[in-house]
Amino acid sequence: MRVWLGWLALVLVLSVGLAQQRTLTVSGFGLNQNLIDKNITRPFEARCNCKIVWEVGNNADRLAKLAARKDNPNVDVALLGDYFAQLAANQGLLERLDTSKLSNLNELYDFAKNPLGGNFAVAFTTYAISIAYRTDKITTPITSWRDLWRPELKGRIALPNITTTQGPPVVWLVNRAFGGTDTNVNPGFERLSALKANVVTYYNQSAQLAGLFAQEEVWAAPVGRFAWGNLLATGKPLAWARLSEGQAGVSNVAVLVKGSRNQELAYQFIDFIISREVQTAQANDLVDSPVNRNVRVSADKAAQLTYGLQQIASLRTVDPDYIIKVRDAWIQRWNREVAR
Amino acid sequence: MLSQSPARLAAWILLSPALLFVAVFFLLPVVALLLESFHVGQTYGLNNYLAFFADDFNREVYWRTLWISLLVTLVSALVCYPAAYAVLKINPRWRGLIIGLIILPLMTSPVARTYTWLVVLGREGIVNKSLIETGLLQEPLRILFTEWAVFIGLLQLMMPLMLLSLVSAMENLPKDVVPAARSLGASEGQVFWRVILPLTREGLVVGGTLVFTGCVTAYVTPALLGGPRVTMLATLLYQKAGVTVDYAAAAVISVVMLLTTLLVNFLLRGRAAKTARAA
Repeated sequence: MRVWLGWLALVLVLSVGLAQQRTLTVSGFGLNQNLIDKNITRPFEARCNCKIVWEVGNNADRLAKLAARKDNPNVDVALLGDYFAQLAANQGLLERLDTSKLSNLNELYDFAKNPLGGNFAVAFTTYAISIAYRTDKITTPITSWRDLWRPELKGRIALPNITTTQGPPVVWLVNRAFGGTDTNVNPGFERLSALKANVVTYYNQSAQLAGLFAQEEVWAAPVGRFAWGNLLATGKPLAWARLSEGQAGVSNVAVLVKGSRNQELAYQFIDFIISREVQTAQANDLVDSPVNRNVRVSADKAAQLTYGLQQIASLRTVDPDYIIKVRDAWIQRWNREVAR
Repeated sequence: MLSQSPARLAAWILLSPALLFVAVFFLLPVVALLLESFHVGQTYGLNNYLAFFADDFNREVYWRTLWISLLVTLVSALVCYPAAYAVLKINPRWRGLIIGLIILPLMTSPVARTYTWLVVLGREGIVNKSLIETGLLQEPLRILFTEWAVFIGLLQLMMPLMLLSLVSAMENLPKDVVPAARSLGASEGQVFWRVILPLTREGLVVGGTLVFTGCVTAYVTPALLGGPRVTMLATLLYQKAGVTVDYAAAAVISVVMLLTTLLVNFLLRGRAAKTARAA
């Protein structure tokens, strides 16, 4: 009997000990996860005496999962592209943030503090979308979206598929470059349809695009700045186009999932990733461009990032509400007219 | 009679864990899926199906899936009949090794295998490089991200299934039937069509069904080797379920996939029965 009680006591002690090791589940992108683990996961775990479990995938997949688990969420914090976060907010999947719990919030650029309105999100990075291209193969620099239609690029470019996060912003930008408006996207779609001969394929992940550059399949492609580090790692001579139409900016935001059972930890995590220390480390590894005003990086690094108030102010932000409204129709139209 | 029923009861008891598992984790979801595909607002009807097939893009995807899968099934049958025959002629000591080599591709991850094809079929890949160096081509062929890349990838993926089914069917072929047919004056063609084919029909049906079903439902190969330009039912299904969250269309696609594979299995069986009767 006494032995039995002893075992019971041991089990109780162990389970209390395990319960103290809290777990925070974060839904993230997966790109550069090894660097994210170095800059965020391990330092945060050391600080909070907790464990971070990452659930990774692209925005669309992860949003679908959040919606499917609405009544019994398994994710505490989600990192999403801004218009996907807006979709999540519209579907009632997000908690409004109590910004008084974010001590680093005041160090952020103003646009990053409440990018969706309603305090549903805090931006932790913003990135420009432009065209990356091979400087050895394309000797006349690319300076406009219209340059993608050059005949010498026949079979040499890749476009982000419409279902990716960059897909709709690229359609929006091309449409504007060819004189379309938000209510008339025919110019954009007509020109994209005529671009078929130049397009090798429509990529679904930026990691896939790095492979296409590495294997000499592709010489030029519209892409988000966050992928630049991976593209440079291919060892090919690449340049980032300075487009006369200006660059478009998309932000990635952190949100608190409604029904999260680890809210205190979730706030600490969000506060941590917008801190000067983490934002500097992420910038130096070319993972994410910083939105914390106090981050300082070398001129050399700055040239590889979307960095500094001046550059950020020059970005044309794509309105998340507009993208949400048109996205399904654009996917249908793209399937039919462009990727065919 | 009485002595039989306890044995029967025992059989049912032994079967019940498997039956329960299949019922809960397979049959129920399939029924739910079937119902979902007919769900229109508050009622049930064919509207989801009509809407799906009214769209010429969806019809194109369906036909593409059908013809690529049928072509892969046909070509693998044509290639595997002589190969299976040859495998059986090999010294039994080596046969184990050969069969092992045939199974090897099935043991590698489909993602790794497909990425290898990306390198092989690419513009700067082995195929194009050797064709250009031997002077057969001036310009690299565009294979990657076309229907042919999907065909090649699926053929490599599915051929072992056909080969193994045919090898095991031929192993059961009585040793004397081929010499007997020859001694009765049958030509090589007659030996194949009137003797070997009818007697190995089960292998062809099994192999054909596995290959065809595998092709219709394959996701990684069309997604990576074909891309958005070569949308197949499986990749369209993913887009509907995972991206646009259109579960009605996703359910329709699943049911269409299921019915198509059942139909092809039925046709293969019918064909097999006919050749069996003819023999």
